Amino acid sequence: MSAGAAESSPPVVSVQQLVVTAKKKQPILRGISLDFPARSLTAVVGPSGCGKTTFVRSLNRMVELTPGLKVEGVVNYLGQNIYDPRVNPVLVRRRIGMVFQRPTVFPMSVFENAAFGLRLIHEAEDEIDAAVEEALQRAGLWDEVRDDLNRPALALSGGQQQRLCIARALAVRPRVLLMDEPTSALDPAATQRVEATMQRLKEEIVIVLVTHNVGQAARVSDRTAFLHSGHLVELGPTADILERPRDPLTQQFITGRFE
Amino acid sequence: MEQTPAPQDPEGREPLPPPSSSGPSAPAGAPRTRPPILRTVGRIVPFIPALVPAAIVAAIVYSLLHAAGFSIALHNWRTWQISLPTNFGWEFFGSNWNPPYSWGIAVFVVGSFLTAVPALLFSMLIGLGIAIASVAYLPRLVTRFLDPFVDLLAGIPSVIYGIWGYLVIAPYFGTVLNPYLYEHLRFVPGLGGTMPPSSGLGLPVGIFLLTLMALPITTLLIRDSLRSVPRDLWESGLALGATRWEAMRRISIPHAKGGIVSAGFLGFGRAFGETVAIAMVLNLVAVYPTNFYGGTATIAAEMFSILDSAYGNSQFLAALSEMALILVVISLAVNVVGRLFISRLSATEIAGL
Amino acid sequence: MVPTPSADAPLGTPIAAPVPALAAQDVLFDRSARTTWRLGFDRWAGWLLPLLFLVAILPILDLVWYISKTAIPTLTWEILTSFNYRTVDALGVPIVSTVEVLALSTAFAVLLGVFGGIATAEFLSDRSAGWVRVSANMLAGTPSVVLGYFGFFTFCIYAGWGYVMMAGVLTLAFFMTPYIFRIADLAYTSIPRPIREAAYGSGTRPHQYIVKVATPIAFPQVLNGIFLAMAIGLGETAPIVLTTTGSKILPPNLFAPVTYMTALIWADFSSPSGSGGYDVALQCAFLLVVAVVGLNILVRVISARYRKRLEGLYQ
Repeated sequence: MSAGAAESSPPVVSVQQLVVTAKKKQPILRGISLDFPARSLTAVVGPSGCGKTTFVRSLNRMVELTPGLKVEGVVNYLGQNIYDPRVNPVLVRRRIGMVFQRPTVFPMSVFENAAFGLRLIHEAEDEIDAAVEEALQRAGLWDEVRDDLNRPALALSGGQQQRLCIARALAVRPRVLLMDEPTSALDPAATQRVEATMQRLKEEIVIVLVTHNVGQAARVSDRTAFLHSGHLVELGPTADILERPRDPLTQQFITGRFE
Repeated sequence: MEQTPAPQDPEGREPLPPPSSSGPSAPAGAPRTRPPILRTVGRIVPFIPALVPAAIVAAIVYSLLHAAGFSIALHNWRTWQISLPTNFGWEFFGSNWNPPYSWGIAVFVVGSFLTAVPALLFSMLIGLGIAIASVAYLPRLVTRFLDPFVDLLAGIPSVIYGIWGYLVIAPYFGTVLNPYLYEHLRFVPGLGGTMPPSSGLGLPVGIFLLTLMALPITTLLIRDSLRSVPRDLWESGLALGATRWEAMRRISIPHAKGGIVSAGFLGFGRAFGETVAIAMVLNLVAVYPTNFYGGTATIAAEMFSILDSAYGNSQFLAALSEMALILVVISLAVNVVGRLFISRLSATEIAGL
Repeated sequence: MVPTPSADAPLGTPIAAPVPALAAQDVLFDRSARTTWRLGFDRWAGWLLPLLFLVAILPILDLVWYISKTAIPTLTWEILTSFNYRTVDALGVPIVSTVEVLALSTAFAVLLGVFGGIATAEFLSDRSAGWVRVSANMLAGTPSVVLGYFGFFTFCIYAGWGYVMMAGVLTLAFFMTPYIFRIADLAYTSIPRPIREAAYGSGTRPHQYIVKVATPIAFPQVLNGIFLAMAIGLGETAPIVLTTTGSKILPPNLFAPVTYMTALIWADFSSPSGSGGYDVALQCAFLLVVAVVGLNILVRVISARYRKRLEGLYQ
């Protein structure tokens, strides 16, 4: 998982000149271009308001849910532009999953939560059982819930709920997982377990992690992208960015002068 | 009242006024005190206006009971006489309404349900559809304009619905819709039988109007409870690859169950208690309708139209009052139960319901 | 190309199995039967469901259009202002009578409702307030016919007034009360906590708080509620019809017959068809629709403005 080995295969997601503007021509993202190689975890960091959430939501067309935003540019998933008018966003989102800031478990049982995406595509019952178990294992939650999969998901602790959300997203076998500050609502112990899950998952899929916690980026990510005011200021292996930042803005951020 | 001594400022200045609680309290700090009787009165008086609605409801119920023959007479301290409401016997619940001979109100009860239930079903279905369209499918710009339009339906007075129904809808039903149904769907039970009257008055128009009148209520309640589903939850569903319909059906609607149930109860209450419009278009006769096109009578409409002829006849009035009591009980039950499921709603709109 | 896991592999396949490169191409342009059905259904719903709006909107447009088109040509300024009771079509009397009745009823309803609402918001414990609010909901939920019966028995018969204006005024007032009550309650309850606590914390006594602090904030909402109650009262028929008789002249005193416009429509409708069409009824209907819709729009506009204003205060 060094940056070198991943670079040799074509990127799973390739962003080219992504521009997002709000009402009244206010720019939120100004021409961002970067690639996400297979089996990597890229941290997206930056001061608040820099556009990192908007960026990540542009990767699975969730940005369209906010009224008034205009998206220009190309986001290629395995060579196909997800913003192609012929592509239905519903299909994009199955391939590129998302985990939100707060755990958003549905008011159903643990099993039904994990099986949600699978039921939409109407998989057979026994396949759903197998897939749910696999997803819960990959999310690192299986051992804690295996004894009673029918208990209500809301009865789980915050950290468990968030891992359930991760399992839920993984159940439909996406190749990319977008995570928007997934641990900011969790206590340190739960955070650590989620980070452990992330480290295991990055060997299998592409993870894009938005975080405001530079320490977290240091712990789990291979490469880091630093955003500022809608620009991609710097991109590179995490160790390089954190220890030898080239751009003064990056340096200011790392050393805490922004936040 | 204030048993504890007023807290003293440590530097020995004027004693601080005792902290006010949310209720009338003794005068703050000043040496004058009110005579105890006034203080007690002063405590009770502010609560009295709050009892007004309860008092009115009690007065309503009592006046109806009284008209029905119930009264308590105190002759002296020890003897009192209770007259019960006029007992019409079991036939009160029978089907033979023929004042001043027999008082079977079953026709009206059945009629009320016969008009209100279909109206409720239609208004719930349509209201659900409109609410889903408004929350999930239409852009905010459009819904900001269309939603109030639907809510406006609630403001139209029922007389006006009645007169429009009588002059416009009924003739249309009578000359176009009913004959069509009669011709082509005669085999369906209820759509055959006797020819529908060309005036068009009867159940179809009645149900149509009731649906329109219950619609703003159901739409508002369902829409509001769908809107209150947390944004994150909805987006999580979409992020898993669900279509808007699927997210609605599997996430939002289950979350909004309470509001939907409320909509059902309150919409039914509206349709059940509707009086004037029904009286104008239903072709009021105290018989069971023979088929879908016939006229019948409802509790409210009959109460409204027949009171004049009952003037002076205390037995007639008693029967009507007992009918009124049944209407009150059903309306109140439906209303109170319906409101149990409402959790959080926007103020003015619901206050208007 | 380095084999990469395919998202389309059948679920039984472990994730690291190599898969032909073409699978990737299918990914975004997947047209499996199930998917086509799902997307198609969603698209259909996106067309059909909004069309249901028409079910609600077309009738109301037709209603307004029909009444306007039938009534406006027959309305002349003279008809609107004539108080000549010999002319059957003169609307001056009904209009003024209606305004008088509505004004009086509103006044009574405000007296009964506002103080009760404030008392519930300020003085009652949560438990008692809960019960009081239930009673207000019960009153609001009783059909107007029942209120009419109550008024008939209480005022016309027991009080011995007969079918007079005062009976109608009071009955209508009782009907309007819970709406004002509820909105007053809501208005005072929804005053932002920081303001309330600041006032009481600095030693303000309850009646001072209510008059000087709460009322200026709650006033627009209460006023709005009054307009709402007026719109409701304007459209009611049963409370008036059951307690009053119509009259061709303005009521000389409170205990005389009076004509209310909704009652007039009902009377015109139920009178034998020799009356030559429903001209009067439709004219009254038109005026009522204008007034009621106007009031409703006013209520919404104030409501929207007020919400914006409140958001500035400690929201």
